[in-house]
Amino acid sequence: MVAAGRERVNAQHWGERLAVPTAFVLTVAILAVVFYYPVLSVLREAVVRAGSLTAAPLVDVLGDPFYTGVAHHLFTAPLSIPAGVLEWVQSGFPPVEFGLFGFTAYQAFLSTLASVVIGLPGAYLLARFEFRGRRTLRSLTILPFVLPSIMVAVGFLAMFGQNGLLNDVLGALGLGQVNLLFTLEIIVLAHAFYNAPLVTRLVTTAWEGVDARRVETARALGAGPFRAFRDIVVPQLLPALLTAALLTFVFTFLSFPIVLALGGLRLATVEVWLYARVQDLELAEAATLGTIETVLSLALTYLYLRYEARQTTASGGTTLPRRALAVGWRTLRDPVRIGLAIYGVAILVLFVGPLVSMIVESVTGPNGLTSAYYEFLLDQQATTAAGTTKPLPAIANSLAFGVGTLALAVPMGIVVSLMATRGGTGSRLAETLMSAPLAVSGVVVGLGLLQTLVFGTTIAGYRFTAGGALAIVVAHAVAAYPFVTRNVTPALAGIDSQLVDSARSLGASRFRTLLDVELPLVWTAVLAGGAFAFAISIGEFDTTVLLAEGVESYTMPVALERYIGNRSLGPSLGPATAMGTVLLLVTAASFLVIERLGGRWEP
Amino acid sequence: MDRRQFLRRSSAGVAGLAMLAGCTGAGDSGSGSEANGSSNGTRTTSAGSDSTATTGSASSGGTLRVATYSSFTGEDTAGNWLKSAFEKENSGTTVEFLTPENGVNQYVQRAKQGAPIDADIYLGLNTAELVRARKKLDKPLFQSVGEDLDGADGLKKPLRIDPKKRAVPYDTGYISLVYNENEVEEPKTFDSLLESRYEGDLITENAQQSDPGRAFLLWSIIAKGEQNYLDYWKQLVGNGVKVLSDWEPAYQAYSDGEAPMVVSYSTDQVYYHGPDVDISKHQIGFLNDQGYANPETMALFESANDPQLARTFMEFVLTKNAQSKIAVKNVQFPAVKGVTPSKEFDKYAKEPPETVTHSYDELAGSVESWVEEWSRLVASG
Repeated sequence: MVAAGRERVNAQHWGERLAVPTAFVLTVAILAVVFYYPVLSVLREAVVRAGSLTAAPLVDVLGDPFYTGVAHHLFTAPLSIPAGVLEWVQSGFPPVEFGLFGFTAYQAFLSTLASVVIGLPGAYLLARFEFRGRRTLRSLTILPFVLPSIMVAVGFLAMFGQNGLLNDVLGALGLGQVNLLFTLEIIVLAHAFYNAPLVTRLVTTAWEGVDARRVETARALGAGPFRAFRDIVVPQLLPALLTAALLTFVFTFLSFPIVLALGGLRLATVEVWLYARVQDLELAEAATLGTIETVLSLALTYLYLRYEARQTTASGGTTLPRRALAVGWRTLRDPVRIGLAIYGVAILVLFVGPLVSMIVESVTGPNGLTSAYYEFLLDQQATTAAGTTKPLPAIANSLAFGVGTLALAVPMGIVVSLMATRGGTGSRLAETLMSAPLAVSGVVVGLGLLQTLVFGTTIAGYRFTAGGALAIVVAHAVAAYPFVTRNVTPALAGIDSQLVDSARSLGASRFRTLLDVELPLVWTAVLAGGAFAFAISIGEFDTTVLLAEGVESYTMPVALERYIGNRSLGPSLGPATAMGTVLLLVTAASFLVIERLGGRWEP
Repeated sequence: MDRRQFLRRSSAGVAGLAMLAGCTGAGDSGSGSEANGSSNGTRTTSAGSDSTATTGSASSGGTLRVATYSSFTGEDTAGNWLKSAFEKENSGTTVEFLTPENGVNQYVQRAKQGAPIDADIYLGLNTAELVRARKKLDKPLFQSVGEDLDGADGLKKPLRIDPKKRAVPYDTGYISLVYNENEVEEPKTFDSLLESRYEGDLITENAQQSDPGRAFLLWSIIAKGEQNYLDYWKQLVGNGVKVLSDWEPAYQAYSDGEAPMVVSYSTDQVYYHGPDVDISKHQIGFLNDQGYANPETMALFESANDPQLARTFMEFVLTKNAQSKIAVKNVQFPAVKGVTPSKEFDKYAKEPPETVTHSYDELAGSVESWVEEWSRLVASG
């Protein structure tokens, strides 16, 4: 009896000891199958020609002034550069062309700047002030993330267009007209629409993790409020801010649907070009562009992770107390609160405006108000015709895939965080490689999945193909887990390592320590990461479309895209905007549920 | 006409035989056809169609897999009508639609990778795609259906773009300008678009990935010549033309009043009729008195399972009845001469005085470099 009992304890002990390594191996295996193998199968076209290694495609692209502008001399005639620079100086510094890559980096830089400027005050508001609806607002910051770009583009057109809502309001106020469409400005604004909430969210989480006692100690030691802020709070916000800025830069560098829809070809980015090359089946050139993009964004990720490793975020302890936002008449005299009010108006224009415009679009036809587009959805639901995309299955699939992604991406993300924070030498490099799904162009990933999993791969004479729900969930999880990692890593790093060490020395397994000590301390970060994972799954489009088998596993964004193609109600986006409105409502509701449930479990 | 009658009659005999054969295998024939009906729901129509089997064709039974674009299928579409009408006429046959997201590229890539082609017919192919499919592969993806396809002799001449008879047109759009006559006077020629009074007034689509966008570019090459089209576009860019990604965003921007002219289809008014519609916002303009035909074609995969059944389907698509139904439901012109889709369609769909288009051979050598040069010009502009 005793022996048997001990055996059981031993078995359980072994199970726990193996839990973390097993999860690690599984994570790596999933990544290899649905990310590394597909992506490398595309990128190899850039360096392999007729079976042997070659640098020719890379040299072709880098040496082409269309792509690299003035920098093409670096690759075609490096020796001519000093003379060229001299000539440029002598002719009085004329404007320099930087080509497609240069333009792409420039717009990404502007977009990042705009996202930080717009996102930071939001974090300040959410972390430091208490007001009705604060938690709801915090949940909703994730909403832009799931909105299909075509809808955002329609919203932006309707909000900022020549006859848009903004111009109507400006006109009514007797102010001038703005005409932003098809300019760099509108692209930067749309990128901020997507990424400023990311800045807000990551920084808010970090701000809420600041230990109030350390601020109090600093103040007690005589530091003024500004000094305490600069020395205690800022260093703890910086990692989150830099994460957000870096992610924004990488995303906007790889941006394509927004540029395609709002900028047009004249403002094309590298990714827009890559997509066009794929459409033309010029896969070698596409792969070369993808390789250069990937190298650039992975290098950025690596540099950032090295920096982040030196930072720590304290956690546990008490959070900073929030102040009331409205303090009666005094509110109107406080410059900070007035500033926040102005900020609120700007946010309404930028975020609520396009969404409201989309909803308005869904109930207005060429002849004024109409319910035709929602009737269209009902008709689609009621029909028995084969191949019809119905709204209800789309909603059900989206939610199911979202929950599946949550279940897979959160453990994967935590495993990678664990490796990043407690790993030994080389863990930065490993973490970079494991964060790669953030840094690789979506077009390349989609193409890779198509060529390997959808078409199938022949192993030992049998053709393995993947399709259906499981493949979609796994693919979503791979896209989503880096967000869990980016939320959890700084928090885990902030845990006093003595806590972990003492738990381990008392005989707890690595898994037990994680479960009982670490995770409860970083629960808010896990929750934030989980919300991201869910959001990414709901909004994901490219891989879902490729992996969805026939008509069975389409999601809300896929249904929306199919309704755009459906012209039975005339050349209008009406049915799509109706579906977009449904998507907006369903996802807003589910985020509120996620965060409310999560809040209840908060330790 | 006589030949067709003859085929009908003789095929009825064969279908009768097939029915007999089906009867001898009695027991599982019912469940067998249900297993075939993987496109669930619509099988109910063919249950009753057994009685009409006498009008069926030679290749009775089997599943025909038709790859097409997603908006061709589903509730109240041309695809859905074709499916039920064809199944009704050919008892025991099931038409299954496949709608790969990346269109015909899906099959070009499959062929390249040695993956199985899971379709018999591709429906919705344009000339440039046919060129691409041929250029990217060592072996042909589609087979020639030859001269003897019933009804092919009735096809409108400008739409017969493929000298090798692989691609058979089933409908066509004519690319034209749509303009708001309250804001601009109709531009009559390509040159007039360069006038300063039209500055910033035109929206077109990206020729790299948009059908109407590419058609407009190709049209401008016909109008201005291979030597001069880039120079023409340089001036057009200088005059503020907006090049958006595709037809939907372009048309949306036009409807929102971003510009008073957009490159679109000459059938647009079909959507906008009725007493309370201001048709002045949907005027059709044919530059140089032309319209560029962008025929939609169908082609038979080299690896098709049952080429005979596929040919029967293609012939069915070319019948006058099917042609008028496709035209109305897909809002495109019929490909066959002498078909009148409907009174309404005739009234609102505008046919250009002169049709221009490029044939397969004209595009084969040049379309890629034309588009590439053009897109580099616009993207650097």
